[in-house]
Amino acid sequence: MTFGHEMTGDRDDLPGPGQGRCPRDVDLHRVWLGVAAEVWRRRPGPVERLAGRALRSPGLARALVTTPSLLLGWVIASAIVLAAGMLATLGTGTPFVALFAPAVAAAGIAYAYGPGIDPAWELSQSMAVSYRMVLLVRVLVVFALDAALGLAASAAPGAAAAVTFGWLVPMTAVSALALATATLTRSANAGVAAGLAAWAIMVLSVRSASGQVTPAVASSVLVPPYLAVAVACGAIAWFATRIPKGTS
Amino acid sequence: MDDDALIAAMADGDDTALRELFARHAPWLAARLRPILPAAEVEDVLQESFLAAWRGARGYRPQGTPGGWLWGITRRQAALWLRRRGPSGLPLAVLASHGGGQPVADPAEAAVSRAELAEAVRALGPEGSAMQEVWRLMYVEDRTVTEVAGLTGVPEGTVKSRAHRVRQLMRSALRQPVRDGGER
Amino acid sequence: MNVEISDVTRRFGRTQAVAGVTLQTGRGVFGLLGPNGAGKTTLLRMMATVIPPGSGRVRLLGRDPGEYGPRREIRRRLGYLPQNLGYYPGFTVAEFVEYFALLKEMPPGRVPQAVATAIERVDLGGRARAKLRTLSGGMLRRAGIAQAIVNEPELLLLDEPTAGLDPEQRVAFRTLLRDLGERATVIVSTHLVEDVGAACSELALMDAGKIVFQGTPDELTARGEGTGAAGDAPLERGYSAVLAAARSATAAA
Repeated sequence: MTFGHEMTGDRDDLPGPGQGRCPRDVDLHRVWLGVAAEVWRRRPGPVERLAGRALRSPGLARALVTTPSLLLGWVIASAIVLAAGMLATLGTGTPFVALFAPAVAAAGIAYAYGPGIDPAWELSQSMAVSYRMVLLVRVLVVFALDAALGLAASAAPGAAAAVTFGWLVPMTAVSALALATATLTRSANAGVAAGLAAWAIMVLSVRSASGQVTPAVASSVLVPPYLAVAVACGAIAWFATRIPKGTS
Repeated sequence: MDDDALIAAMADGDDTALRELFARHAPWLAARLRPILPAAEVEDVLQESFLAAWRGARGYRPQGTPGGWLWGITRRQAALWLRRRGPSGLPLAVLASHGGGQPVADPAEAAVSRAELAEAVRALGPEGSAMQEVWRLMYVEDRTVTEVAGLTGVPEGTVKSRAHRVRQLMRSALRQPVRDGGER
Repeated sequence: MNVEISDVTRRFGRTQAVAGVTLQTGRGVFGLLGPNGAGKTTLLRMMATVIPPGSGRVRLLGRDPGEYGPRREIRRRLGYLPQNLGYYPGFTVAEFVEYFALLKEMPPGRVPQAVATAIERVDLGGRARAKLRTLSGGMLRRAGIAQAIVNEPELLLLDEPTAGLDPEQRVAFRTLLRDLGERATVIVSTHLVEDVGAACSELALMDAGKIVFQGTPDELTARGEGTGAAGDAPLERGYSAVLAAARSATAAA
């Protein structure tokens, strides 16, 4: 806040190369701000620019590309998990990809959420780009990405369509559950734990009931309950993000 | 840090070096530009010049002088600016100095050169000093040595040696337009 | 009037954080004083549209924050520095300030200049491209102030802004406050009485969710004279006197 002082050439102690104080009517501070604006500016990458145009909001696009579960490391980790599932499926015939995909999505979606991983959470609640919008866009993109990865990994020749695509339904349910838990408890970790635990319980109960795991992802009987869970949890998450709670 | 080190740091992407360089040099560069440009345009030219310096820092060779380098960039930007505005934008004084309606190849360059020349002339000494007088009589008014000797009341030999000195001073001032910490 | 609050309450579970506050203020610097737990932060959060009031009416910048459209308009013109502001450690100062400039829906073309201006105003020009994790506490706080002022807000809410600033920086901060107060409503919440007293044109003192004093710094000072109240400086004595009076009044009632 003493910066302006230096700009008027008050520093006689420096050996100036040429003579001359800055003329009184030249505003060097304004000049510096113009230089700094150019030098300090960040140029968004192509993904962010595209997202900005598609979402019609540069702020929303920036919030999207800074999603923790959309960072390159996370995406690569998800891809590796699903690739491992694919290899395991080829080896054993058990549809591991179908089993892993919902878990991967649940984790990714819980980690799109704020408290616990977003330090500037409180401030984000006062922004013109509402945090709910940010959350919605993040969740949709993470889900779409994980679905795409899952589809790529499960496109094994000869596999039944129900297995290839069937896991999308439980994935939706488990992700919604993870999100609802995260928003209710205001903790991303709680959301991940809930999602993974629920899915594990589901798979294990199906296996103990029928001796196989495939029905967990392929049975059409389970589709309505899955969807019901997805819708209910979605509503809970929506409601939980309406009024942020405070402690002071 | 000395200016050379600052420019090297700038080449490495250190924006705080640019900030320091700006603090040191922008004032005198502004003073140099002001006679040939209005204040608002001095600001614009300076902004473009320092951005050009930021981008071109890698091309700086330490055996040049930092001040000279910066002035070189600035005068180019000033000439660009003047050229862009067209002849109507040039200060009247510049046009008037080319009396007789002689067309000038590049009025923009001429304007900037005029600023440099004016400063070199100032380096000859204060107004009315012996050197300034010789400069004015011999090179501006184009008089002969005999006439100058008569007008100033000194022997012709003295006039000749003063003229020689003036040429020396002007030559070195124009070749190296900027003094750098006294290492002339 | 940029802020019009009437009879606002807010509770969290069993705690009545704000118990009927009425406040109106226009341009200038307005100080919100009070001990910890007085309800200052809750009031500030309501003005920042982070939480709605339990009851009562709030109007900010002439609009009703209860509705989506007006709330968004308010937020574009708002600057808020929470008491505990988290930082994204991997961001640079410039990236941090720019992030919130974008989230405040500033026109993208204006953002670089606004970011540079805000950073220089808080004297972080030498650290613009330094990562936040390399900054001291005081510098982080200044970065927080920079994001709050980047959009030249009409309503600026600062919760304990001077935490971590050294005395020289506090002086510079008060100058900045006065500067900002010329065009905006600046509300500063602090428990450091002398800190902001000098910069504020008006003060309110809160205790137990209510406003127990509202007036100029001189008036607060006057309340402390001759009472023998605790405090090293005039404003502090006024502060103690008013608090003591309010508490004994409550005890007697």
